[in-house]
Amino acid sequence: MLGVFIAAEKQKGLAVDVDGELGVRVAMSGLPELRGSEQDPAAVLVQLFLRSSLSPKSSEEKLIWSGWFCCVAGDDLLEDLPENFTCLPLFLVNGAESYTAIVGSWFQKTFDCCFRRLAISPLNLTWMAAMWTGCKVDKNTAATELLFSVPHLPQPLDISYAIHPEDAKALWDTVQKTPGEITQEEVDVFMECLYSHFHRHFKIHLSATKLVKVSTGIASAHCDGIIKFLQSQYLIGVLMLLTELAISQIQ
Amino acid sequence: MDEVVVEYIRRTVLKIPRDEIMAVLQKWGFLSEAQLQTINFRQTKESISHSVAQLCEESSANIKQAALLDIIYNHIYPNKRAWSVYHMNKTGEETDFFDFRDFKKKFRRQIQSALINVTINFREYEDNAIWIRIAWGTPYTKPNQYKTSYVVYHSQTPYVFISASTLRSNLPLLCQAMVVASNYYNIREMELRSHCLNSLKDIVFKRYSQNFQTNYPLQERNVLTENEDLRINDENRSEKERIHRLNQECFGDGPQPKLDFAQYKLETMFKSDPKWDVLEKKEPFRCLVKFSSPHLLESLKSLAPAGLADAPLSPLLTCIPQKARNYFKIREKKSLHPGSFVSP
Repeated sequence: MLGVFIAAEKQKGLAVDVDGELGVRVAMSGLPELRGSEQDPAAVLVQLFLRSSLSPKSSEEKLIWSGWFCCVAGDDLLEDLPENFTCLPLFLVNGAESYTAIVGSWFQKTFDCCFRRLAISPLNLTWMAAMWTGCKVDKNTAATELLFSVPHLPQPLDISYAIHPEDAKALWDTVQKTPGEITQEEVDVFMECLYSHFHRHFKIHLSATKLVKVSTGIASAHCDGIIKFLQSQYLIGVLMLLTELAISQIQ
Repeated sequence: MDEVVVEYIRRTVLKIPRDEIMAVLQKWGFLSEAQLQTINFRQTKESISHSVAQLCEESSANIKQAALLDIIYNHIYPNKRAWSVYHMNKTGEETDFFDFRDFKKKFRRQIQSALINVTINFREYEDNAIWIRIAWGTPYTKPNQYKTSYVVYHSQTPYVFISASTLRSNLPLLCQAMVVASNYYNIREMELRSHCLNSLKDIVFKRYSQNFQTNYPLQERNVLTENEDLRINDENRSEKERIHRLNQECFGDGPQPKLDFAQYKLETMFKSDPKWDVLEKKEPFRCLVKFSSPHLLESLKSLAPAGLADAPLSPLLTCIPQKARNYFKIREKKSLHPGSFVSP
């Protein structure tokens, strides 16, 4: 059904057709391993393959777009869910925006749902910065980098503040004192430390600017919902966080 | 060879904004006015470029003319390239008379003694700026006209502006050629880089309005000239004026040189408020900070008035034009013990 829809949409000229031959095949499959616990529903993978226009009969295909629905450790957060109702609040996409728009609109029409970019607030980004900095990683890991934006000046300014991962972790380890959990206060102190170190040198109040992106050796997250996973061992952990964010935005 | 040259000219023309193509071709002077009149400049750029290519082929344009067009293009649009600044040192005090022909001969000879497959072209401009274009080949292949480095040298100064582009491995050869040709002793790279060539010149030639410390208080200027509505009372008037005055002292009055970024490698100690009871390391807290903006100094200048920074702004930022650098390594200042030596 989705395949027919895509073909129809492309005929309307809504998508950019590079190869000239509209041979888009849709494949849907389940990913049962991608979940936090047994209570989570299995993830669903959607892939779009483009058949080579040169030899339509050949099996040569190129993966041009993939997206997957998942829900990781969402059980505690989804209350009052009727039986037989599957909730997959998180959708991750890799591929051209044009296809994302088509697939998204088909799902919205077919399932009466709403597709929207996951907006990640600066507050959530600071949580990610603190949590991911504290993760144990091997030697050659990337720095903890915070990207701040000051757009409303006469000339916009971007500030990249990268801390050596060992030093950032050392700081977080002394801040994080509650065993087994992370508190808002600890995240605040961690950020305050980084802000004041910066202020000592440059006299600039970073807290007054907008935090738009956080990068660590584990993963990176941008306020527009663009995520990069860098360590497979922490994939589920990051997905848990994102699932929580997605669910909180439904409510 | 002809096809390569003509195609190269065509691609150069494609880079020029459509409304300016005529003017650039006139500056180039290879095609006659009559020939230029035959081109329909209301076509698409693609079509215009083909018309120009056709004319060039008919007129047997050679590599030297093609190179000249590229120099003219880069001279008009220097900000498309990234430039680094180099400084040369002389052993003695004498200022030799600059002989352009001698310079060109020595430069060419120095490069070609190491690498014969190069295209080198020179052009001298009115402000004593010499533009050098080098297209690089390898010991086994002819020069690739699309892999070029540019050198801008003001012969009365020890400064060289280099846009090395893709082939950085040729940089040492390029520097050596500069030193030998200009009769200097050595050359070193300054920590100063930007896309805006004229701003780099402003900084090293001190052509911008510098800040100055005066013993006389600057005249109190009325900052709020726009809203003359007397019903609006500015609660923070004196604070605003204080910030404005300090900003003037740091940055000077005139327009700032245009830089794209400044980078700071921090190796200082982490100091925090004791109430937090955190990190007490004896080693430096290693950070890398990078400021980016279409016009960095103007952006930094506007931070304090916008309430995002204290005034005066940190000297680490305000010293950029005077120190003529935008790459810094900052270490903690060590306290001096009496009798110890401080190495420079």
